[in-house]
Amino acid sequence: MTIPKGSSTELRSRGRILHTLTLVLKRIHAVRVLLFLGSLSLFIFAISLMKDGARAISPFIREGLSVNNPVNSLGFGWLFAYLVMSGSPVAAAALAFFDAGAIDQYSAFTMINGSRLGAGFIVLFIGFIYVLRGRDRATSLSMGLLSLSVTGVTYLIGLVIGYGILNSRILDPLQLQSGAQLLSFIDRIYDPIVGFILIHIPQWSLFFLGFGMILLSFNLFDRCLPQMEIKESQVGRISRLVYRPWVMFIMGSVVTLMSMSVSVSLGILVPLSERGFVRRENIIPYIMGANITTFIDTLLAAVLLDNPAAFSVVLVEMVSISLVSIIILFLFYRRFERRMLDFVKWVTDDNRNVVLFMFSIFIVPVILMLV
Amino acid sequence: MRVLLTTDGSETSNHALKFGAQFFGLPDQMITVLTVIRLESERPQAEAALNSACALLRPEIVNIQTKVRMGHFPEEMIEEAKAGQYELIVLGSPTKGGVVKRLLKPPGMLRVVGEAPCPVLIVKGPFRPIRKILLCDSGVEDSSLPGRFAVRYADLSEHEEEITILHVMSQISAGPGIPGKQLRAEAEDLIHEDAPERHVLERNIQILDQPLIHPHPKIRHGFVVDEILAEAQDGEYDLVIIGAHRKEGWRGFLLDDLAQKIILQIDRSILVVP
Repeated sequence: MTIPKGSSTELRSRGRILHTLTLVLKRIHAVRVLLFLGSLSLFIFAISLMKDGARAISPFIREGLSVNNPVNSLGFGWLFAYLVMSGSPVAAAALAFFDAGAIDQYSAFTMINGSRLGAGFIVLFIGFIYVLRGRDRATSLSMGLLSLSVTGVTYLIGLVIGYGILNSRILDPLQLQSGAQLLSFIDRIYDPIVGFILIHIPQWSLFFLGFGMILLSFNLFDRCLPQMEIKESQVGRISRLVYRPWVMFIMGSVVTLMSMSVSVSLGILVPLSERGFVRRENIIPYIMGANITTFIDTLLAAVLLDNPAAFSVVLVEMVSISLVSIIILFLFYRRFERRMLDFVKWVTDDNRNVVLFMFSIFIVPVILMLV
Repeated sequence: MRVLLTTDGSETSNHALKFGAQFFGLPDQMITVLTVIRLESERPQAEAALNSACALLRPEIVNIQTKVRMGHFPEEMIEEAKAGQYELIVLGSPTKGGVVKRLLKPPGMLRVVGEAPCPVLIVKGPFRPIRKILLCDSGVEDSSLPGRFAVRYADLSEHEEEITILHVMSQISAGPGIPGKQLRAEAEDLIHEDAPERHVLERNIQILDQPLIHPHPKIRHGFVVDEILAEAQDGEYDLVIIGAHRKEGWRGFLLDDLAQKIILQIDRSILVVP
């Protein structure tokens, strides 16, 4: 019996499919894919470590640092984010502490808020260094100040609204069906590794090891983002246009959904313009959009912790900030925009105002921690 | 130049007619004065308004055609503008309405500005002779349409005009470490430094290099709408010229309609060039 060969049409069709696949594979940068997978694996592993380590350091957090109510948790998250110059690891830590019973749901919520308030500091800090080196105040500090101010106002209003939503439990039924099988698969891979590490180091140090791994995972993730190289091109011209606020809001949300970091999303604006300039009218809604989707990694952390209440905390964060942002965008936007930029101008007009501002953003979280 | 004016017999309309008459220049141009009525019973008042308008425009203007259309004002204006192939439409200042009214139903003049195939001159405030013009160029378009219209007007006018070419830089630095000298620079500095704004200013200076026109480049830093309104007031300009918001394609959907904001907030006559 002879095996019939494929007809010429089928052969041509298979050839076309192979050709298309080859083209697609050529466009995918293998190194970036590996970096992404590595970053994701590290993130998952880090959450496992922090989850176990948080239980051991819970007494220290509660009694040693006296982080035991929503007010001092806000200050703790704020200062912690200053220390590590990033908000997402601190937000993940807040969920780990909550999962371990070190803090309650409301404290986890305010600690995450605090982490966002502290996260904007990195851009401002770099700008401050430039000012100390003699560069112009307005140019060096504007973006950092604007990011911090917009974040501060939206998050502080969001804190009040979110507290109410959390209290009402209205979002509790909304849970992501993470899949017990997936989580059990992850546990099967990582639990033995965590167990092995535990033999050699104390349990409390797992938290810090996990924390360090989260920072590394974000660093790897940043490297797998496509690099923007813009010379004199149409994309450079785009930075000269004034977009509708909702367009920039969506753009900020989408870019941060991919970058998972507000500071990276802001940094992307520099190569996207021919001189590193961005229009005043465009930047505030962009920051507002970025402040919502920056929680995607925290949401993932809540899923990996397999803690529905933790998931609700993050969801309430996202919903409350979205509500505040939408209300501002559609009802008060022009006034808000002007007040924010007037504030930035006031701070950068005089060295004394800069010092006063820097002092206040440090003293306020310290005072909160003493409550 | 074929010009379309509107009247409803009011004092506002008369101001618009007198202001618009400054664009007529040559006595052999065709001017059409239009009035729009809702009901046939309004025709006698309409005829009276048109006669009054003609009396106001004569003897300087000889060729005056009058028309009465029945229907809704913005639609009839736009229909007439398209049918008559006019090169300029002159409207009086908008009907005063509260914020809620403006939100629910954009003023008729904004619709005319948005859909007219030619420049629209919106006359606000009392009559003032045009001596100082503020020409606003965003630099987004490849050629300066407002600049070209300003030259056409200057050709028709027998007077000297001082034209300020304004470009607003609303940019701030996107991050620390960006050289920000150009964010504080004046027009002369940007021209000297070969900045992108130089091209915007110089093309208008070239276009306006005509007898009786004195162009001055100027840069302001701040929000586009705020700076244009502030400059118009501070400089005591008689006329502000801006480009219209492009509605076609992705620009109409994604870009902010700054022209509308300026038209609604400005307190003096404004010419919108599509």
